[in-house]
Amino acid sequence: MLSFHGVTRAFRTGAGVHRLTFQLGEGEIVALIGLNGAGKTTLMRLALGMLRAQQGTVRLFGRPLPSLPTAAWSEVGALVERSTAYPELTVAENLDIARRLRGGARHVVTAAITAWQLDQLTDRRYRTLSQGNRQRVGLAAALQHQPRLVVLDEPSNALDPASVLLLRAELLRRARAGAAVLVSSHHLDEVARIADRVLLLNAGRLIGTLDTTGPDLERAFFERIRTDDELRRAQEPA
Amino acid sequence: MNAALVVEALKLRRSPVGLLATCALLAGTLLLLGGITAAVVEGNPQIIAKAGPAASLDWSGLTAGAAQITSAGALIAFGVVLAWMFGREFADGTITGLFALPVSRGRIALAKLAVYAGWVLLVSITLPLGVLALGLLLGYGHPGAEVWRSLARLCLLTALTGAAAAPVAWVTTLARSLLAGVGTTILLVVLAQVGVLAGSGGWLPLAAPALWALSGGQAVDPVQLALTVALALVSATLTGTAWSRLQLDR
Repeated sequence: MLSFHGVTRAFRTGAGVHRLTFQLGEGEIVALIGLNGAGKTTLMRLALGMLRAQQGTVRLFGRPLPSLPTAAWSEVGALVERSTAYPELTVAENLDIARRLRGGARHVVTAAITAWQLDQLTDRRYRTLSQGNRQRVGLAAALQHQPRLVVLDEPSNALDPASVLLLRAELLRRARAGAAVLVSSHHLDEVARIADRVLLLNAGRLIGTLDTTGPDLERAFFERIRTDDELRRAQEPA
Repeated sequence: MNAALVVEALKLRRSPVGLLATCALLAGTLLLLGGITAAVVEGNPQIIAKAGPAASLDWSGLTAGAAQITSAGALIAFGVVLAWMFGREFADGTITGLFALPVSRGRIALAKLAVYAGWVLLVSITLPLGVLALGLLLGYGHPGAEVWRSLARLCLLTALTGAAAAPVAWVTTLARSLLAGVGTTILLVVLAQVGVLAGSGGWLPLAAPALWALSGGQAVDPVQLALTVALALVSATLTGTAWSRLQLDR
């Protein structure tokens, strides 16, 4: 459903991603983990057409992004970096905007309000919401149209434990329905609960997968990062 | 495209900037006209001297005053609204939500411009009607053919001033900044003034509508006025293209 083949995108600052290759199939949940600045958000922006690759190919639904028909984006639901909505509009209006732009039926907004427990907030202006509630609105907007591909960047940020449970249930439900889910997170325990594969990203490169069945995820994570850093330093010209 | 139009119309209708600009253009103009009229009735010599043709207490004075106020202030109000419509997506971070959609960004930009054009048209029609109502309220009597022509010129002046502000959308997009859009608006106003002082206002799309309306349609020919429309169309094309090519790389 989503594939990266040798994808590179560099920035003048030196950050970016380099020769990324991976695939995400139907019904699969793939988690991306890495330190801040590892390239998780850049990877997601490349997947969503927010950035163009300098080298390599990003394919969505089997087609390279530049030749993807615009209509195909109706099958994608995404929330990158943080929830953003129009502050002067109410929760219901913001959800309705997301629905209209994706061509969804009117009832999906009502269903999303119920699913994300936003009933008490529908007439509240977005700017008056707490960070956690804003994130729930962002998730509802991204997922209300039942997308076949879900891309979420640190979706559990600012969520309370009850909302984290809602999110987890929703992602598992979407995957069971055949959707492909790409999610980044700093919460290793959380990704271990839901992900079929956990990809490790360090300094813009995919350095492998993390075995989520091991006894100490944090230790395994940091050892992989340290080993990769040492390897890169050893390869750098003196 | 319909979805984008509905969404952009809702955003402008609910935006405080749109509301304030509408009030400034309509209520502000009428209040100023009322103030000038009151000062002229009282015989205030400074206002009478400054108002020029607008100092006469009849339809010609009222419509001349409306044209003067619109020429001086409307470009600022229109530019600020355009800067807001395009720049707020970057300022509020909502631009990320305009990617990965079945509506292309180019169409979203055109929807913004279409909604803006609709709003400008609404203001252009409402403002002369307000001036007409004010004239009737002031007891200027039944408007004759020349009054209707002046009101029609005011309508076109307002619409063309809205068109002249179109480059603001393009610059705001390139700079990805609301403040850059506001700065561009100020620059357009300064350029219009300099063009008039330099004597080339008729060929300057930013100044031509004002010169045309203030001269009673004499000082500027239709070709020069058409340049303002051409400027708006070129700006709209550039803005649509800039939105289509947009990347979130900064």
